[in-house]
Amino acid sequence: MKYLPILLCALLWEAIVQFGLVSRDLLPSLSDVLSATWKLAREGDLWTNGAASLYRGGAGLALAIIVGAVLGILMAWWRAVDAFVGPLVEALYPMPKSALIPVTVLWLGFGDGSKILLIFLGCMLPVTLAAYNGARSCEQALVWSARSLGASRLRVLWDVVLPSALPELVNGVRTALALTFVLLVSSELIVARAGLGYLIGFLGEGGVYDAMFAVVLVVAFLGFFADRLYQRATRRVLAWRE
Amino acid sequence: MNKFIFDSGEGTVKQIVVDGVSHTYRPPRGREVLALEDVSLEIAPREFVALLGPSGCGKSTLLYLIGGFLPVEKGAIRIEGQPVAAPGPDRGIVFQHFALFPWKTVRANVRYGLEKMGLAREEQERRAQAQIEMVGLKGFEESYPSQLSGGMKQRAALARTLAVDPRMLLMDEPFGALDAQTRGLMQSELLAIWQRRPTTVLFVTHDVQEAVLLAQRVVVMSARPGRIKATVETRLDRSDPHIYRSPAFAEKVDEIWNLVRDEAIKSQ
Amino acid sequence: MARVILRLAPWISLLALAAAWELFARSGAVTPFMLPRLSVVLERIGADAASGELWQNLGMTLYRSLLGFLISVVLGVSLGFAVTQNRFARWLLDPLVSAGFPMPKIAFLPIITLWLGFHDLSKISMVVFDAVFPVVTATIAATGGVERHLLWSARNLGARPRELLREVVFPAALPQIMTGLQVALPIALIVCIVAEMKMGGIGLGGAMITASRFADSPGVFAGIVEIAVAGYGLVKLMALARRRLLAWHPEALAPATV
Repeated sequence: MKYLPILLCALLWEAIVQFGLVSRDLLPSLSDVLSATWKLAREGDLWTNGAASLYRGGAGLALAIIVGAVLGILMAWWRAVDAFVGPLVEALYPMPKSALIPVTVLWLGFGDGSKILLIFLGCMLPVTLAAYNGARSCEQALVWSARSLGASRLRVLWDVVLPSALPELVNGVRTALALTFVLLVSSELIVARAGLGYLIGFLGEGGVYDAMFAVVLVVAFLGFFADRLYQRATRRVLAWRE
Repeated sequence: MNKFIFDSGEGTVKQIVVDGVSHTYRPPRGREVLALEDVSLEIAPREFVALLGPSGCGKSTLLYLIGGFLPVEKGAIRIEGQPVAAPGPDRGIVFQHFALFPWKTVRANVRYGLEKMGLAREEQERRAQAQIEMVGLKGFEESYPSQLSGGMKQRAALARTLAVDPRMLLMDEPFGALDAQTRGLMQSELLAIWQRRPTTVLFVTHDVQEAVLLAQRVVVMSARPGRIKATVETRLDRSDPHIYRSPAFAEKVDEIWNLVRDEAIKSQ
Repeated sequence: MARVILRLAPWISLLALAAAWELFARSGAVTPFMLPRLSVVLERIGADAASGELWQNLGMTLYRSLLGFLISVVLGVSLGFAVTQNRFARWLLDPLVSAGFPMPKIAFLPIITLWLGFHDLSKISMVVFDAVFPVVTATIAATGGVERHLLWSARNLGARPRELLREVVFPAALPQIMTGLQVALPIALIVCIVAEMKMGGIGLGGAMITASRFADSPGVFAGIVEIAVAGYGLVKLMALARRRLLAWHPEALAPATV
C-alpha cells in the first residue's frame, strides 16, 4: 500500500480538528469537507464550473500540442527555421507564462477565450521544445536507412522522424498537461466569472471554507489523476525505449 | 629473479583464506540468486592469482566479499588470520570502470587515500606525485577524469590504490573497458609494476589469454552458482617479451580454455 | 557568408521581432489598446525606471521569489537526503512527493491566504510549497543513483561511513541537484507573480493586474517585457553558477588528449 501515509495524514487531519486542536474556522474537518463536496456535486455547482474549466483546458492544450509539435519538428528538420526561431524559443522559455494573464484578459476579457489563449501560448513552448529535441535525437543512420530503402524526404519525416520523436514528445506533453492545470487555476483564481478556480475564490470570499477546501482538493486531485491517466495511456508508446 | 615460477614452499602462512563461502543475492524485487556455492581458496603472500570464469559466475562477488564490500553470510574469509569485517586500505581495489571521483583532479584523487591516512600535507603531495609519475601520468596531475582517455583513467585509478601501499590488490576486470591495444599496453605495465614491487594480486577476468599472461595460478570457476572447477599453475617465464608466441603459452591457454568452454556455453 | 548569417541569427530574429511589433502596431491593423507600439512600451519602462516604481516592483518580486527559492532549496535538499538515508522518511515522504508533484499547487493559494494573511509571508510560502517539489525529486534521484563503486572506492581508501555523505554522495549528486534547482527557479518566479496578481499591491504581478484593471495597455505590456527580462536574466545566472560549480563535469570540459 504505497499511499498509506496519505491515508494516515487524512486520519490525522480529522483527528486534530475533532479534538479541537485547530480551530474549525481555519481548518474544516475532513468530514465537513467531504460532505461539502457531496453538496456541491448534488447542487450542480461542481459540474457547471468543472465543465467550463475542462473545456478551456482541453481546447488550449489541444491547440498547443498540434501547433507546438508541428513547429518543433519543422525547427528540427530545417536549419534555417531553427536558426531564426530557436533563439526566440530559448529567450521566451524562462518567461513566467502567468505574466500573460493580464494581457489575455485585456484582449479577450473574462471569459473562455482569454483562458484558452493563455493555455495555448503557455503550453506551446514545452511541446515545441520536446518535439524539437525528439526529432533532433533521431539517429542519422535511421534516416539514411529509410532513404536507401526508397523513402522520399517527406515520407522519412512521417515514418522515421515522428516515431523517433514520440517518446520525447510524450514527455513534453506531460509537462504541458501539468502546466495547463496551473495556468487554468491561476487565471480562474484572478480573472474569471466561472470555472473551478473562480469557484474557489468565490467560496473563499463568502466564508464558506469547507466548500472552498473541497474544491481545492477536487482540483488538486484532478491534476493528479490526469497525470496518472496520461502515464497509463502513453505507456505503450514509451515501451520500446531501452 | 628472472623466472617467475612461484614456489610457495611448505609452511607459508596463507594471506587470504576463503573457507566454504556461499553468497546469495536478494534483490528487493525478484527472485533470490545463489551467486557462489561453497567456495574455498587459499592465496599466499605475493602470489598473482587470476579468477577466471564466464559472465555471472560470481568471480566479482568473491572479490567483493574478500574486499569487505559484501557481508559474508555463509562460510568464513580470513585475511592474515583475521576475519573480514569491512573495506580498508589493506586490500586495495581497482574497478573496471575506474570509479575515479569525477569532481577531483588526478592529483586530488590520488591524494584521497593519503588524506584518510592522516599524513602531513607535504608527505601526501610527495607520495601522490611519485605514484602519478610511476604510472606514467606526469603532466596530467591537474586534469579531471572526464578529460582523460580510458587507459589514462585506469592508470590514475591504479595510482590512487597503490598510493596507500595496500598489502594486496583486488582487481575486478580492470582492463575490460579498454580497447584491445590499450589493454595490451596496460597488461605489460601491470606486470612491470608487479615485478618492481611484488604484491599479492587477485585478478578477476573472463579473458583466458589475459589470465595466463598475467597470473601464476589460474582458478577456473563454473557457471552460476559459482564453484571452483579447477586450479592451473601457469609456470611461464614472464621475462620473455615474446611470451605470446611461445608454445608453452599456447598450450596453457588451450588447456584452460577447454576447462572454461563448457561453463561459458552453460552461462549463455 | 551563410555561416556568418547563422551566427547572427539570434540577434536578427530579436530585432526582426521588435521591428515587426513596432510596424504592426503602427499599421493600424490593431488598435493601440490591443497592441501598443514597442516605442511606447519602452518609454513607459523608462518612465517607471526614472520614477523608481520599476525598481520597487522588481525588487519586491525578486525578494519574494528568490527568498522562497532559497528556502525551498535548503528544505528540498534536506528532505531529499533524508528520504535516501532514512527508511521512515522514505516511507512517509515518497507518496506525498509523487502525489503532490502533478497537482496544481497554486490551487492552495486561497488556503494559504486564509492561514497566513495577505503579506509577504503567504507569497513566500506559496513559492516554497511549489518550488520544493522539483528540488526534492531531483535530490532523491541524484543521491539514490550514486554509483556504488564510487562509495566502495572511498571506503576502500579509508573513508569512514559517516564521511561518505559529505565527501562522495553530495559531490556526485550535485549535477542532478543543480538541474532540479534550474527547474525550480522559473517555477518560483511564476508562482510569485500569480500570488501577487491575486493579492495585488507592490510587485510586478500586482502592478500588471492593476494596469489591466485600468485598461492601461502600455502598462500591461511593459510588465511583460520586464518579467521576461528578469526571468531570462535569472536563468542565465543559474546557468553561469552551474558552469562554475560543475567545472569538472564532462559537459564543461574539452578533452586533454585525443
